[in-house]
Amino acid sequence: MTSQLIPAGPFDPPGVVWAPVSPRLAAVRLSIAGIVLGVPLVGGVVAALLSGVTWLWVIPGVFVVLGLWAAWLIPRQVRAVGYAERADDLLIRRGILFRSMVVVPYGRMQYVDVQAGPLARWFGIAAVQLHTASTGTDAVIDGLPPTEATRLRDKLASRGEARLAGL
Amino acid sequence: MTGPELTWRRMHPVTPAVKGWKVVAVLLAIAVQQVGNNVQQAGALLVGRAWLIALGVIVAGGLLGFGYAAVAWRMTRFAIDDEAVYLHSGVLFRQQRKARLDRLQAVDVVQPVLARILGLAELKLEVAGGTGSAVSLAFLKEGDAAALRTELLARAAGVRGVEGAPLRAPSAEQNVLEVPPTRLVAAMARSGATLAAGLGLIGLIIVVVLSGQIGTVFVVIPAAFGFFAFYWGRFTREFNFRAAISPEGIGLRHGLLESRSQSVPPGRVQALRLTQGPFWRGPGWWRVEINVAGYSGANAQATENVLLPVGDRDQALVAIWLVLPDLGVADPRALLAAAMDGTGAERGFTTMPRQARWLDPLAWRRTGYVVTDRALLIRSGRFIRRLVLVPHERTQSLSVEQGPLQRRLGVASLVVHSTPGPVNPKVPHLAAAVAGALMTEQAARARTARAGAGPELWMRLAGDS
Repeated sequence: MTSQLIPAGPFDPPGVVWAPVSPRLAAVRLSIAGIVLGVPLVGGVVAALLSGVTWLWVIPGVFVVLGLWAAWLIPRQVRAVGYAERADDLLIRRGILFRSMVVVPYGRMQYVDVQAGPLARWFGIAAVQLHTASTGTDAVIDGLPPTEATRLRDKLASRGEARLAGL
Repeated sequence: MTGPELTWRRMHPVTPAVKGWKVVAVLLAIAVQQVGNNVQQAGALLVGRAWLIALGVIVAGGLLGFGYAAVAWRMTRFAIDDEAVYLHSGVLFRQQRKARLDRLQAVDVVQPVLARILGLAELKLEVAGGTGSAVSLAFLKEGDAAALRTELLARAAGVRGVEGAPLRAPSAEQNVLEVPPTRLVAAMARSGATLAAGLGLIGLIIVVVLSGQIGTVFVVIPAAFGFFAFYWGRFTREFNFRAAISPEGIGLRHGLLESRSQSVPPGRVQALRLTQGPFWRGPGWWRVEINVAGYSGANAQATENVLLPVGDRDQALVAIWLVLPDLGVADPRALLAAAMDGTGAERGFTTMPRQARWLDPLAWRRTGYVVTDRALLIRSGRFIRRLVLVPHERTQSLSVEQGPLQRRLGVASLVVHSTPGPVNPKVPHLAAAVAGALMTEQAARARTARAGAGPELWMRLAGDS
């Protein structure tokens, strides 16, 4: 599936088929946003009710607006994430406003991490991170089903081994 | 766990004496700082018995330091075979470290002042494992350290030896770069720090004259110390800088008090950067820094990433040649001249498109890149000129980035990921289509260059005898 969100350009090399990540990633991120924004929201509402000062309602209002913005933005962000396994390298693309695409050659990979926090495990997703000898390589694919994450990790590791060439 | 054929060796027995002094030095530094912070109170202390307590603390700390260093020395031993260096160390928390020689990135012989007086040296093996991954053998006899370095480099190069027999005589080194102390001083005088110090001094004089209070001068004493420390540190670290070339790779030596001698085998330099500040333009001087995996560059004070502290144009070209003997173009001098001083599209440079002038009004004509058969050259900066070279086979990964402003102007930035160090190659604000195409092409070039690159055991190239 190719994303319809993003027009052609430097982020759409010809002949690349992008694989999307699980929409459950949006659920995880929305839950986190809900927790982070929900606590001060409740606090603000309680403060406004107890004090009876009208303008104090501005505080919960701000958090409601932030929450609506997050609810609109996060699913779009998750849909913008894509990755593609090519013959010799892995492509990862993300972002709507600040977009980036990273290409990691299999032969440059030093190790692969699979991570899943408690919320991510609850929703059944995991993140795969590729490490090269450079700390600048920011190659994370978040929101993969655990089976896909494991498959990708093993595949990347075996491909890296076949093509490994020092530094 | 380890083979029976390993012969374990210990560090030099004087090691604890050299290492133990660190504790005393730290305590003394704290004492001096306390005194410096409050001279009057310190004077009061001298009258009473308090200074006896301070002396006692320093002596006790020193004894503890020496004692610990002695135990640590007892627990430390190392061994070498064809594949790796083994180091066992640690008193309470034991550590057994094995560093593979085919992953060896550089070997340094470091001599702090005290070790230098006693004829000792520390041997540091850099493997590409990030911060703290270096294997440090401290301290060995000067001669032993040099011999061990030669042996390690030979083994890392793939020359197999017979136990006990000398592997090979140290290869003839040829000095190619030297920085005389006068030039080092002149270069520091023409640095940005001097500009800052000069502006600060002018500001101070104005304040003193306007306020009529001489006491203001004392406020800037810490800043003056800072500048002095900067100049002094730079001078002592880069004093007597020499670069040499041998079959073992690049050799760098420098240092007034603490001397450092670095060996970087061929193909270990990941990226290279030339810098020219505005006041260096007159004499045409350049500073050359390198990325080597293992030299983290995290410490801004470190000199290990410097290939040439200051040099004229020809010396800068020699420094480039040390890393990239073949640039992959017919006329490298002309290309590098355009890369160092030029602007615009001459010599095949691709610069920012015209609309990018809103994002970089000063340097948009100069910033650009050119690709040769062997490397990617990135030129940038109008006030402070910079030139970055990345050999194709050393490219780790690549990315294209675009922010909202950049998208409106139809431009994108290409980032080349190199190992940690002072050089961070990036071509900002290229036309979007150009950036995308360059990323695809560079990925392909890096792949083919790696396939054709020399082996990790670089002496195997010339035939394994």
